[in-house]
Amino acid sequence: MEYAAVGNKENVFRARKKKKISVGQYILAFILGLYTLFCLLPILLVFVTAFSDDKSIASNGYSYFPEKWSLEGFRYVFKYGRQLFTSYGVTIFITVVGTIFGLLIMSMFAFALSRRDFMFRKFLSVYILIPMLFSGGQLANYLVFTSSYKLKDSLLLLIIPLSVSTMNIIILRTYIQTSIPEELMDSARIDGAGEYRTFFQIVMPLMKPVLASVGFMMATAYWNDWQNALLYIDTASKNPLQLLLIRIQKNIEFLLNNKNISGAALAAIQKGIPEYSATMATVLTVIGPIMIAYPFFQKYFIKGLTVGSIKG
Amino acid sequence: MKYIRGISMKYFLHNTWKHRAHVLMCIPVILILFFFSYVPMAGLSLAFKRFDYNKGIWGSPFVKFENFKFLMASGKTFTRMTLNTLKYYFIFLILGTSLNIALAIAIDQFVFKRLGKAMQSIMIIPVFISYAAVQFIVYAFLSNNGMVNNVIQFFGGEPIRWYINPKYWTAILTIVKMWNGVGYGSVLFMSVLAGIDQELYEAAKIDGANKRQQIMHITLPSLVPMTTIIILLSVGGIMRSDTGLFYQVTRNSGILYPTTQVIDSYVLNSMLTTSSYGFSAAATFYQSVVGLILILLANYTVRKIEPDNALF
Repeated sequence: MEYAAVGNKENVFRARKKKKISVGQYILAFILGLYTLFCLLPILLVFVTAFSDDKSIASNGYSYFPEKWSLEGFRYVFKYGRQLFTSYGVTIFITVVGTIFGLLIMSMFAFALSRRDFMFRKFLSVYILIPMLFSGGQLANYLVFTSSYKLKDSLLLLIIPLSVSTMNIIILRTYIQTSIPEELMDSARIDGAGEYRTFFQIVMPLMKPVLASVGFMMATAYWNDWQNALLYIDTASKNPLQLLLIRIQKNIEFLLNNKNISGAALAAIQKGIPEYSATMATVLTVIGPIMIAYPFFQKYFIKGLTVGSIKG
Repeated sequence: MKYIRGISMKYFLHNTWKHRAHVLMCIPVILILFFFSYVPMAGLSLAFKRFDYNKGIWGSPFVKFENFKFLMASGKTFTRMTLNTLKYYFIFLILGTSLNIALAIAIDQFVFKRLGKAMQSIMIIPVFISYAAVQFIVYAFLSNNGMVNNVIQFFGGEPIRWYINPKYWTAILTIVKMWNGVGYGSVLFMSVLAGIDQELYEAAKIDGANKRQQIMHITLPSLVPMTTIIILLSVGGIMRSDTGLFYQVTRNSGILYPTTQVIDSYVLNSMLTTSSYGFSAAATFYQSVVGLILILLANYTVRKIEPDNALF
């Protein structure tokens, strides 16, 4: 380390370290940069392919630099018009309702858990811990929900199971315990506020950062959930986006691989379906909103993950 | 807990009544967990019954171990599924955790903090893309005219038909999983690293330790508690898998089953295609029970070695 001596009027030395950036840092930068590209490039390919001309993909293969650009892919997707619109509606509905509902009930639970003089909370902590460690499994869930509760084809099954998660409750509770001073709540109580008022008027507003990060994680889980939709939803009007994606792909594949369609007819169909760009355009419409929302939530999201994880 | 021994039931009830507002706040979560997590646990009893849709879960007749005999008799299928599940579990756990930690340390050591944060934000993005969408991205790379084959042909090689050859898929699925998870997974470890007292590093530097020694003796040991918790939490899921990865990305292609079929993708497939659930019921029972036993064992072991790091 080199020291630069700085003298001032009283002739006192103040040592100032001059930082040398080692070669290793540049190598690190290169490696990290490579990995960042690795994460980014696949997504970029979706974007480029969605706007590419299908014929150039058919002849030259997928590429980041297509011969021709075109909006054909998107035009095909919009032909689904009504269904796409409906599916968007369904997905937005379950995401918004599920996230708000889940955040509300989990925050209340977390608040109660954080009350140190609440004796029942010991039992409650164990009560939420067990489902995290042991579960009935996919099949049991499916049969109980459809056969016993008779909830097949119900949007409730897309909303409720994902609304409560032990990990999130712990994150919320930890946040309340570490970032919201007891004094605030005590003074509210002295002023005569009941527990509900204390919670809604004081605690919740202060929880905004953690609500943002947990909320974002929940919203993404809802937006991306394909398995529940695949298992439980039959009616087309209740198809969320992920399910639509799966069905469209199966249709395209079905049409193009069907042995019962003659060669000539197949060629005609193939001409009409911009297979590659349409698929990617559909993928883009499904992952698009998350990509757009991410930069806004990213700050809260990383903070929230870290705060919750240390104590949890 | 020591103090509970001295508390009478009367005191407990009095305390609960005093906190009735809090109890009310907890009820939604309690109910949801009861109906959607605890009741399905009883559905595990299906492993011992022959399910009759008309009679429902509770009315179906007991067949004791018939389903399990069926499981064992299928020999190859069952062994293959189980081995695949275990194989991917260990690969993802060991490789995944190592990469998570390596990335966390890399970013933490990186001198250009703002650039590091920006890169980390990008690295987290893949986790927000559902596997239903990822399958199309993978297809864009691995199909006959995909990116990878284009590159191979550019260098004069023969294109490889990836989707027909099971032997490549262990590596392919691992790469996809790492792409998806490492950015997100490293955040947890970063939070631990951020909490390490800088003075420890200063002291080590004064003692003459170089970077490698600092990492080995300060950074890595401080990650042990978090790593232990993560491993403990994952052990319960040893028989489970990231279903989307194995069902969607492989497009449920039967040709690839030898290296890609895991218990969860088998069960999902059978739920969608057949109505005889005996095999699946036995398999999911097996998943849950093995997971529970392992987690109890693992926690017990950790408690003997380092009680602070145990889950309970």
